[in-house]
Amino acid sequence: MALLDHTSAVIYMRDLDGRYLLVNGEFERLFDVRRDDLVGLTDHDLFPQEVADNFRANDLAAIAHGRPVELEETAPSNTGTRTYVTVKFPLMDDDGEPYAICGISTDITARKKAEQEVIRLNEELEERVRQRTAELEASTRELDAFAYSVSHDLRAPLRSLAGYSEVIREDYADMLDETGRNYLHRIEVNTGRMSQMIDDLLNLSRTTRAALRRRQVDISSLAGEVVAELRESHPDRNVQVSVADGLTAEGDPHLIRLVLHNLLSNAWKFTARRDPAVIDVVSGDAGVLVVRDNGDGFDMRYAGKLFDPFQRLHAASDFEGSGIGLAIVQRIVQRHGGRIWATSDVGQGATFHFTLNSLGGTAGIEEQT
Amino acid sequence: MNSGTILLVEDNPDDVMFTLRAFKRNKIFNEIVVARDGEVASDLLFPANESEALTPALVLLDVNLPKVDGLQILERIRSHPRTAGLPVVVLTTSNEERDIVQSYRLGANSFVRKPVMFDEFVNATKVLGVYWLLVNEPAPAPRIESHQQ
Repeated sequence: MALLDHTSAVIYMRDLDGRYLLVNGEFERLFDVRRDDLVGLTDHDLFPQEVADNFRANDLAAIAHGRPVELEETAPSNTGTRTYVTVKFPLMDDDGEPYAICGISTDITARKKAEQEVIRLNEELEERVRQRTAELEASTRELDAFAYSVSHDLRAPLRSLAGYSEVIREDYADMLDETGRNYLHRIEVNTGRMSQMIDDLLNLSRTTRAALRRRQVDISSLAGEVVAELRESHPDRNVQVSVADGLTAEGDPHLIRLVLHNLLSNAWKFTARRDPAVIDVVSGDAGVLVVRDNGDGFDMRYAGKLFDPFQRLHAASDFEGSGIGLAIVQRIVQRHGGRIWATSDVGQGATFHFTLNSLGGTAGIEEQT
Repeated sequence: MNSGTILLVEDNPDDVMFTLRAFKRNKIFNEIVVARDGEVASDLLFPANESEALTPALVLLDVNLPKVDGLQILERIRSHPRTAGLPVVVLTTSNEERDIVQSYRLGANSFVRKPVMFDEFVNATKVLGVYWLLVNEPAPAPRIESHQQ
C-alpha cells in the first residue's frame, strides 16, 4: 500500500457492483475523501450522475473485454475538471473469473489544456488569415475598380487634346512653320502613347479581376499556337523556335495563353537583331517552365525592375513597347501561386523561368533582387 | 435614306465638335441634331405633341450621360412603336464586356468605343455614316393612323 500511496497516479479498485474496495493516497487527495469513508460506496455516491454513469460503463466494458482497456476520462475534482488517461483491467480469481476492477489513471489535464490551447490558437490564426485575405482581396478589387474608372475618365480629355492638336494643324497650317507643325505632331504622339498606357493599365487590372479557372493546360500546344500567330504577323522574320513536347501545367487557359504570348512576343522582339534568332520553350527542374532567347538580353543589375509596370530597360528607340507585358505576366503567375524570375547577360539573350503553383522551382531565389 | 437626320446624343462639347467635323470631313451632309443630355433627347424623340416628334435616320448615343442614363434612352426608343426600328449606335469610352453585353441586350444595333486619336475617330465616323445611312436597309416606317385634326 505504501507503494500505491507514493505514486502520482490515481489508483482504485471496485467490485463487480461498482463498490469501492481500495483507493490510494492520490485518490484521497484529489477527491477530498478518506478511504475508510468509501467502503460500500459507488461512483454514484461521489460524482454527478453523468460522470458516474460513464465510469460504470467503462468498468463494465473492461470486464466484458477481459483484457486491459485504455481510455480517456474526465472527473470533477477539488481543482476543477481534470482529464485522465485510464487503464482499467479486471482482476481474476483462481477460477479465471473476474471479481474486481482495477483502475490506474494518469493526470493529463495540463497536456490536454495545452492541446486545446494549440487548437484554439490555430483556429484564431486561420480566422485572422481568412480576414486578412478577404481584406486584401477587397482592397485589390477597390484599387482595380478605381484604376478602371479613372482610366476611362482619362480617355475623354486625352481625345480632346489629340483632336484639337489635329484641328490646329489642319485649320491653321498656313500660320505655322515646319517647327510649329512638328511640335503639334509631338503632342499627338504623346497623347497616343498615354492612350496606350491607359489601355495597358486596364488590361493589367483585367487580369486581376478575371475569374481564375484551373484546368490541365497543354503548354506545348499553346506555345505552338502563339508562335504560329507571331510568324503570321511577322513573315519577314527568320526565327528558329523549338518547343519541348509534353509540357503541361494546371491553371487558367486564357491567362496562361497571355503569359506565353507576352513572353514569346518579348523574345521575338528582342531577337530582332540576331540572325538566326533562336527561342526555346522547355521545362526546367521541378516543373519550372522556361522561355529562353538569344536576343539582346538585359543588365542583371536592373533585374529587380523588370516586372514593374512601364519599366523599360532599353531605350525607346531600340525596341518599342510600353513595358506592361511583364507586369501582366507576373500578376498572372502570382495569382496562380507561382513565381517568375529572369536571368540574362547583356548581348547573350535572356531566360525567363516561371511556375504556376507554389511547389517546385527553388532555384533562382538568390538571383532576383 | 441618306437624306435623314442624325440625332447625336452627346454631353461632351469637344466630342460634339469632333463628330460634326468628322462628318463634314467625310462629306456626310445630313442634318445633325445634337442633344446635350438624355432629357433633351427624350423631349426631341417623345414630345407631348407627337406630330412634332423627331424621327431620325440614325441615333448616335453616348451612354455616359448626365441625368438620364444613356441606356434608358435606348430602352425607351426600343419600347416605342414609332421608334422601335431606329438604328442606334452606342458610343462609349468603355469596352468592358459587361457594358457591351448590356447595350446589346437592350437592343443596340452597334457598339463603338470612341477612339482617342482623331484620325481613327474620323475613320470610324466615315464607316458608321456610310454603313448606316447608305448601305443599311432601314426598318420600314410603322404605319401611324392619322388623327382627325
